[in-house]
Amino acid sequence: MSSRDESVSRRKFLGAAGGAAVTVGLAGCSDNDGEDSDGSDGSDGSDGSNGSDGSDGSDGGDDTSLLRYGRGSHSATLDFQNSTSGEVAKVTEQIYDTLINFEPGESTLTDGLASDYSLDGETASLTLKEGVTFHNGEEFTAQDFEATYRRFVDSEYEYYAGDDYVSAYGPFTLGNWIDEIQVDGDYEMTIQLTQTYAPFLRNLAMFAAAVHSEAAIEEYGTDLSENAVGTGPFELNTLDDSNEQIRLDAYDDYWGDGPQVDEAVFVTVGENSTRAQSLASGELDIIDGLGAQSSQQVESADSAELVRTEGINIGYMAFNIAAVEEFQDRRVRQAVSHAINTEAIVNQIYAGFATEASQPLPPNVLGHNDDIEPYPYDPEQAQSLLEEAGYGDGFSFELATFQNPRGYNPSPLQTAETVASNLGEVGIEVEINQQSFAPFLEYTAQGRHDACFLGWYTDNADPDNFAYVLLHPQVEESELTEGQDWVSFDTEGYNTSNRSAWANQEYMDLVEEGQQTTTESDRAELYNEAMQIAHDEAPWVYLDYAEELRGVANRVNGFQIAAISGPYLNLVSLE
Amino acid sequence: MFPKRFVLKRLLLLVPVLIGVATLVFSILHLSPGDPALTIAGERASQEFVERIRADLGLNDPIWVQYLDFLGNVARFDFGESYVINRNTSVREVLSDTLPVTLELALYGQLFGILFGIPLGVLSAVKQDTLTDHTTRVGALAGISVPIFWSGPLLILLFAQVLGVLPTSGRISSVYNVGAIRVTGMVTIDTLLAGDWDMFWSAVRHMLLPSLVIGVYSMALISRMMRSSMLEVVRQDYMRTARAKGQGAKITVLKHGFRNALIPVVTIIGIQFGGLLGGAVLTETVFAIGGIGTLLVEAIEVGDYPIVQGTVLTFAFLFTLVNLVVDVTYSYLDPRIQQ
Repeated sequence: MSSRDESVSRRKFLGAAGGAAVTVGLAGCSDNDGEDSDGSDGSDGSDGSNGSDGSDGSDGGDDTSLLRYGRGSHSATLDFQNSTSGEVAKVTEQIYDTLINFEPGESTLTDGLASDYSLDGETASLTLKEGVTFHNGEEFTAQDFEATYRRFVDSEYEYYAGDDYVSAYGPFTLGNWIDEIQVDGDYEMTIQLTQTYAPFLRNLAMFAAAVHSEAAIEEYGTDLSENAVGTGPFELNTLDDSNEQIRLDAYDDYWGDGPQVDEAVFVTVGENSTRAQSLASGELDIIDGLGAQSSQQVESADSAELVRTEGINIGYMAFNIAAVEEFQDRRVRQAVSHAINTEAIVNQIYAGFATEASQPLPPNVLGHNDDIEPYPYDPEQAQSLLEEAGYGDGFSFELATFQNPRGYNPSPLQTAETVASNLGEVGIEVEINQQSFAPFLEYTAQGRHDACFLGWYTDNADPDNFAYVLLHPQVEESELTEGQDWVSFDTEGYNTSNRSAWANQEYMDLVEEGQQTTTESDRAELYNEAMQIAHDEAPWVYLDYAEELRGVANRVNGFQIAAISGPYLNLVSLE
Repeated sequence: MFPKRFVLKRLLLLVPVLIGVATLVFSILHLSPGDPALTIAGERASQEFVERIRADLGLNDPIWVQYLDFLGNVARFDFGESYVINRNTSVREVLSDTLPVTLELALYGQLFGILFGIPLGVLSAVKQDTLTDHTTRVGALAGISVPIFWSGPLLILLFAQVLGVLPTSGRISSVYNVGAIRVTGMVTIDTLLAGDWDMFWSAVRHMLLPSLVIGVYSMALISRMMRSSMLEVVRQDYMRTARAKGQGAKITVLKHGFRNALIPVVTIIGIQFGGLLGGAVLTETVFAIGGIGTLLVEAIEVGDYPIVQGTVLTFAFLFTLVNLVVDVTYSYLDPRIQQ
């Protein structure tokens, strides 16, 4: 049984002291979360031994089991169509279901509200589960999905949520690809696509493709941002913006596994170190958004454990090939890749909570090429490549970076300084231009940078979500210049998510074919080849794949850490 | 007698002050880099999607049209809808969620400062140059000098981690659903109204460290000011007269000295309240209490213009209001000021 340990071990004291020191260092800046604000999130599992009732646990006197999940930011909307934020997703994943799910802790697909699904050419066919009910008691049918979809993207629809309401995921994951939805009875559905699009089923597994109740859409309209009626394992109790808490109750008629606790609450604790302390003192059960320092705090706590897994993300430095003449020579890009000591960045600056990257696709995504090694740190090789390219005397460029930590780059300024000093050794002068994130995104999307840091958390764990979204220019063929592997940012329709202006024809062909190929093994080969090109041509310096980190109290059982989707609170039980 | 004309005059003066602040905030926001439409749309949005949002928000209108719209809305206390933090929700609603959090913190901090600062100041003055005086003065100096982001974590370390008697962070234990009993938004009051003593006790325990941290600073200022003002007053002729007429030392100090010595202290309390609101940003951050301070910082970071404007104007409004209260208190303490 649990009891509060009054004595203080040296380890605990040091852990707490470390936390205090970090807080001192960080106080004053608000969001040191280090988490990307988009894409996926997950949670984790750990065995339990004995629980710890902290100072605070002692003043709650009831018997219901309450699971407390601590995170860095509150999410004020409960509607998955209203935001692209990962914080929103953590909550809606509990309340709502998608037609298709990710296997907990894996990037493979499994059935959700659909018991059967397939994609054949431009047609996706789905058979839906019967007997699933929404929290309002209504039965789930294909009409609910159709209404949900139309509310998201169809401005003709009576209950369309509005341009100022819906998130960019509407067109990005569904609207751009779906031509028509045909509903055949209550449980059969055919989705006609605008083209063969292999990642489509994965898009259906994203949190933004969850299903609203048609009755609730009609009843609440855009007030679904404060009310929630889903089919998920938990139903809404209270959205408390004032205390930045979201309280959920177990939904007894849930069709899937669990939930095994009576209640769950999402608690906001902005400072990483304070959050880690709250976990250590038993005030929280699971926490996310950990940086290197707070991870070490969790590791040193007696009552909790640090759980980690490989993430599905990439951190990189993009060359703006269109803006800097030197970068138009592949040898210069390779030279820079050799001159930057990514190993030291990952191990020292990111404290080993990330691995060195070698290509755009992270290891657990289909098509990652296992034969490619990261560019080794080799200043001499870099120097000779520069000389070969005619830049032996060096040159200078501006490196744009954001200031606040992101998951894939927890220490952007320190990383930038390392890059500058590394490149200084081979005669390249780097001027660092630091900005806060919003203006930084605008600046780099306009192509005003020479080079910039950036990164990406996957939406759907599909290779297309990296290869096409981040490195394909997406302009008309006629805009490309023969024998030139870049285009200007000003080109009509240019995909500004491609911050390097790279337009390699061979790569583009492979990635387009990958988008249209539905057989997994064939796809893997295409992306393997594309990765080799992306590695050799080096439009980016590949920095790191960041790990997913969670702090879990010992009293928590059955928690499955996941790099995409989740957290799977329905699988968790408490001692 | 309540000084009606005086208050009315001061209230009218609020208008130009607020217009000035509104103009300043508007200019700063619109001069700074960052496109709000892009911020709202996020990294996944197409150019077309961003354009739609920009048009929707009226960001394509000429700047002076936007400015006049803004002023017109502000006059009706309408700050628009949040862009990012609480999308599509009126700023007024967001503020009504977060303002009580900060006010509660600032009020307890102020209460702490007054309850301890004034007696300590008087004590220090009465016992001038004794050990009590020196201790109080050194204590006050330390209170002013220690930054919140240092004292906060240290107190957490001591009381929550080492001694384990107080909670680390938040406003109330997450065991309790305080959102369900919300009336004022101030947890100590709401729990009291609900008559739930366990909840109330939890709220009080959560409030102790933050109000101590934030209150120490104002206590230090108040006690210093009280001391010097008291010393000044003690030397006045009327005090000597009172003594000469045979009045006891205690009554002389409390009845004749205290009220007169309070005048400069009230000023400090007023000004200090603004400082408390500012200090709340740090305290909220350290103790994970999401009030208006953290809201403002977050809004600036993500480019949520309406929230920034609403928050700053609310701050300005509160601050001028407190100053007004201070002035009225003056006129009560020293009726000559009204003339």
